[in-house]
Amino acid sequence: MCPANAADTKTGLEISSMTLLSNSRVPVREDLYLGSLDNSAELRLRGSKCADCGEVALGRATICLNCGNERMSELPLGQEGVLHTYTVVRNPPPGDYRGPDPFKPYVMGLVELPEGIQVLSIIDCPAENVRIGMKLGFQPIELRNNADGATPVGFVFASKE
Amino acid sequence: MSEIFVVGVGIHPFGRFDKSYEQIGFEAAQSALRDAGVQWSEIQAAYLSRMYLPATSGARVLRRLGGTDISIIDVEAACASGGAALRQATLAIRSGEVDLVMVVGLEKMPRGFMDPSMIYAPWQINQGMSLNPAYWSMRAMRHMHDYGTTEDQIAKVAFKNHRNSVHNPNAMYRKEFSFEDIRNSKLVCDPIRLLEICAPNDGAAVLIIASEKKAREMGAANIRIAAVEHTIAQYSADFRCPAESMSTKIVNAGPTQVTAAKAYAKAGLGVEDIDCFEVQDTDAFCEIEIYEELGLCPLGEGGRLIDSGATEIGGSKPVNMSGGLISKGEPVGASHLGQLVDLVYQLRGTAGPRQVEGARVAMGHVLGAGGNCAVTILQR
Repeated sequence: MCPANAADTKTGLEISSMTLLSNSRVPVREDLYLGSLDNSAELRLRGSKCADCGEVALGRATICLNCGNERMSELPLGQEGVLHTYTVVRNPPPGDYRGPDPFKPYVMGLVELPEGIQVLSIIDCPAENVRIGMKLGFQPIELRNNADGATPVGFVFASKE
Repeated sequence: MSEIFVVGVGIHPFGRFDKSYEQIGFEAAQSALRDAGVQWSEIQAAYLSRMYLPATSGARVLRRLGGTDISIIDVEAACASGGAALRQATLAIRSGEVDLVMVVGLEKMPRGFMDPSMIYAPWQINQGMSLNPAYWSMRAMRHMHDYGTTEDQIAKVAFKNHRNSVHNPNAMYRKEFSFEDIRNSKLVCDPIRLLEICAPNDGAAVLIIASEKKAREMGAANIRIAAVEHTIAQYSADFRCPAESMSTKIVNAGPTQVTAAKAYAKAGLGVEDIDCFEVQDTDAFCEIEIYEELGLCPLGEGGRLIDSGATEIGGSKPVNMSGGLISKGEPVGASHLGQLVDLVYQLRGTAGPRQVEGARVAMGHVLGAGGNCAVTILQR
């Protein structure tokens, strides 16, 4: 699941494979995904689409933030996107960060998906190769375990180039 | 509608101090009372803007001036807290209930990146999407892509603001850095570097404002609050922290454009009437974006505006004569009122080496988390 070169680069995330040993995966956010956390190839980001204006929100939404309509329907978000903008995070973020330990700089960006929504995400791509407009693919990742031993499943968009 | 005037200002320097927030706020409040020539017992209401401080900070700070039974309220609106508090104070005066009000901006903050749990959801923190400068930096990266803005132009903003700060006794860093120092400083979030970014710190700034009737009685009806507006970002207008998504179909006007438009309309003034500006330079790039959104230049031309020298103290549109937040630091609750104290000095003609000759109209602008934005226009 993980790009073969990710662990070899200066700034790529060392993403653990989803075929792992952890037997208690939990979503990093409750309403974020559609599909089983144990079937990463089928897992999708969950969106909500307004039946009136057609705007799309990330996760489960009951009210459209654009028009206020309450007729929202579930919409699986696309697994491929394009990078709209990015930055490289050079210092460990504050608080309960569950990425690689020890810290490695990583790319963060805004990913444009076909459904009319841009999603903020960690980008799995070496900093020296990242560019606006590059093609990216959705990829679930395992974050460092919670105190109770459960493994939170987060996500990245990884370079497809 | 009756006008409202600034009748006194006070400031505690911005920096890092080994004293309590109560003491920092008290000292600034006391200096504002002296400046206005009024007694604490004459103040009829008080507002304190802060983000990091505990409950009832306003009362804890101001009771040091003496026992009182007036209304004292804490106000919080992220980086725009000072504007939100000042706006509430003006509305109180406009209601006719009170004539003389104190507005205190105060903060005492730890070093380093701000505590993410204040604005981000746990999942964003777990994933590593909780670093405020990352969101601002992504705007810079896209602007460079769309308009050809360069890292040199971004560094020029930091160079200007650091150089201006040398003359500001209330700034945290009063040091001129060479252009090379800035360009070679460490990357924080690409393309933004360490000497191009503001740091959270401690500080306080206080305005005492009065109804027109009261200001005339005091012989202090000189600097009017022509407008004070506060808004948050509307739908799909801004992906500043802690945004999690944006629409690709709808692009609404950003918070700076919306708030400035309201302020210009309220004041009956346009950007061409403003003689000098203090704006949010969370990082050097965002000053460039704000030039465009306030109307100092067309969209995409902000990089060329800094190249032209127009925003220098001696230029046609001076910006951040005080050194900006890059050199003063950003004590969040105090930052906007700190801008306004400096602009009052400009309008009084007492700003010393950073004085803009003949300044009669001045604008303060702040922008932060959630697209909280405040714009205040002062007029002599």
